[in-house]
Amino acid sequence: MQERGGNGMAAYLVFLEQRDGILAEASVNLWHRVQHHAVPGADRVSGFVAGPLRPGALEPLFGAGVVHHAAEERLARSSETTLSRLLAALAAREAITDIVIASTSAGKRLAPCLAQATGASLLSGCVAGGFQEPVCRRPIHCGSILVACVPEAPVRIYLQDRLPQVLFTGTEHPRSVAFDIVPHLDADEKMNPAVRSITEISRQRDISEAGIIVAGGRGMGGPEGFLLLEKLAALLGGSVGASRSAVDEGWRPHGDQIGQTGKSVSPDLYIAAGISGALQHLAGLSAARTIVAINADPDAPVFGVADYGIVGDVLAVLPRLIDVLGDVLPKK
Amino acid sequence: MNIAVCICEVPDPVLPVTVTDGTPDLSRVSRIMNPYDEYAVEEAVRLKERFPGSPVTAFTVTSSGSGREALLKALAMGADRAVEVLSASLADSFQIASMLSAAIRTTFPDALPQLVCCGRESSDYRSAAVPAMLAGMLGMAYAGAVTAFRASDGVLELERETEGGVECLEACYPLVFSAEKGLNTPRKTGIRQVMEARRKPLETLHVAPPPGPLVRFCSAEPVTRKRVCRFAASPEELAGLLLRAVQGDAGEGG
Repeated sequence: MQERGGNGMAAYLVFLEQRDGILAEASVNLWHRVQHHAVPGADRVSGFVAGPLRPGALEPLFGAGVVHHAAEERLARSSETTLSRLLAALAAREAITDIVIASTSAGKRLAPCLAQATGASLLSGCVAGGFQEPVCRRPIHCGSILVACVPEAPVRIYLQDRLPQVLFTGTEHPRSVAFDIVPHLDADEKMNPAVRSITEISRQRDISEAGIIVAGGRGMGGPEGFLLLEKLAALLGGSVGASRSAVDEGWRPHGDQIGQTGKSVSPDLYIAAGISGALQHLAGLSAARTIVAINADPDAPVFGVADYGIVGDVLAVLPRLIDVLGDVLPKK
Repeated sequence: MNIAVCICEVPDPVLPVTVTDGTPDLSRVSRIMNPYDEYAVEEAVRLKERFPGSPVTAFTVTSSGSGREALLKALAMGADRAVEVLSASLADSFQIASMLSAAIRTTFPDALPQLVCCGRESSDYRSAAVPAMLAGMLGMAYAGAVTAFRASDGVLELERETEGGVECLEACYPLVFSAEKGLNTPRKTGIRQVMEARRKPLETLHVAPPPGPLVRFCSAEPVTRKRVCRFAASPEELAGLLLRAVQGDAGEGG
């Protein structure tokens, strides 16, 4: 067994999230990121997944290593409390040095539970560094400040926001190994809390995982205005987001909100339509690459942080933009 | 049953925080109660109103004595008692959770509260770690980022957001939960409530210093967001710029 953190070798454990027996895209991408980063022959990469999987569910994973699979039916929908107990036991047994978790809703809830259970240093929200470097840099105070974080504990947990995909394929797939939960979870133990059901309300890719986001604010004028954004997002293969005002008005669900009391996003392309660009909104955009602003007010602060912009009424600009793009882009 | 609610103060996001000598300069910002904590306080007070005999105690830990206004606000919203926990150093979520855990154990030496309410995250650091860590330290069950909380006969039905949907949970006391936006609409407080708050007990508690931090924050630097915006004269021109961005050869925005 390797020494924990000794001689520079890392033992990675990637948490693989599943829903309905299918691995989350965010987890698959992160697995490949870690494989891409790991030093072959020196670092170890392993994964953990809880709950029954569909046949072939692990096939999207390439690279060496082991996936520990706890296949029990009662883990099909697990709370962070249950998952962190199992992961903590596995991490200790396998002398894991770095646990990597995709920053999904479930991942965000799991990571601090696991940090407490393992005594690990939790590093979240890193826009630079992360599991790929010893120091992680993350935005604080609405993204006005970038602070360097240094882990002090021998085990580290990285809660990783969306990273651009890496192409990592090959002929090798990780080996799946059954993980026995019996020593860690009594057969008749009542889960508290227990996840009873998940009700689907939207089919769009979640904004925290989206590579392209079309977001609207108060300037959209109402929920109807967002139909234009839905159209534009469909053309570009993106997801629709919203500012706080649009959510507070009830035009969009809170899950679509970007900013300080919503989500932080890291798209390659962010289109802000009818959003003025208040500091609390920009707080969610620290990792956005190209920013495009459409706003009627030429003095809107959003233009100060945008790469491209157009001054005009969103309800006039968007239909023309959709027409032009519709002629050029293949239907997605 | 006893209800505890853990709150903190954050800079009001109307003005950006600057950096002085490599650390965030908070001397000129005005402070407000963390927005998520308002949902936590509101939910605690609503439960107390529904189940008489469930006093609400608000806790805040601070190294600078900057949590008093938030505690007074919690009292005005309907909390019964407030505890200000003083500590020399609060460097990371682990230290803050340790202090809260110690303060709750000290305040309730015989039996821990049945329910501990927290905000999902503080809006300044956004780590969303303290509530989960606190639950682990108190040995209580935990539910993060809750958007609905229904209590009847000791059985709790909770809801929360997940990618593309809503997750329903069943839980029982004792429980630590963190409040997500949408859980409720926090009440506004008037002069009368503010006056009443000043007559409610507000204690200061010193607890043993926490163990060392697990994450060290160093070298803060200001972020320049300013970009040079290239303005398009028409939607057609903007479409061209968008296509370049989508096709990946116009992506240096950093």
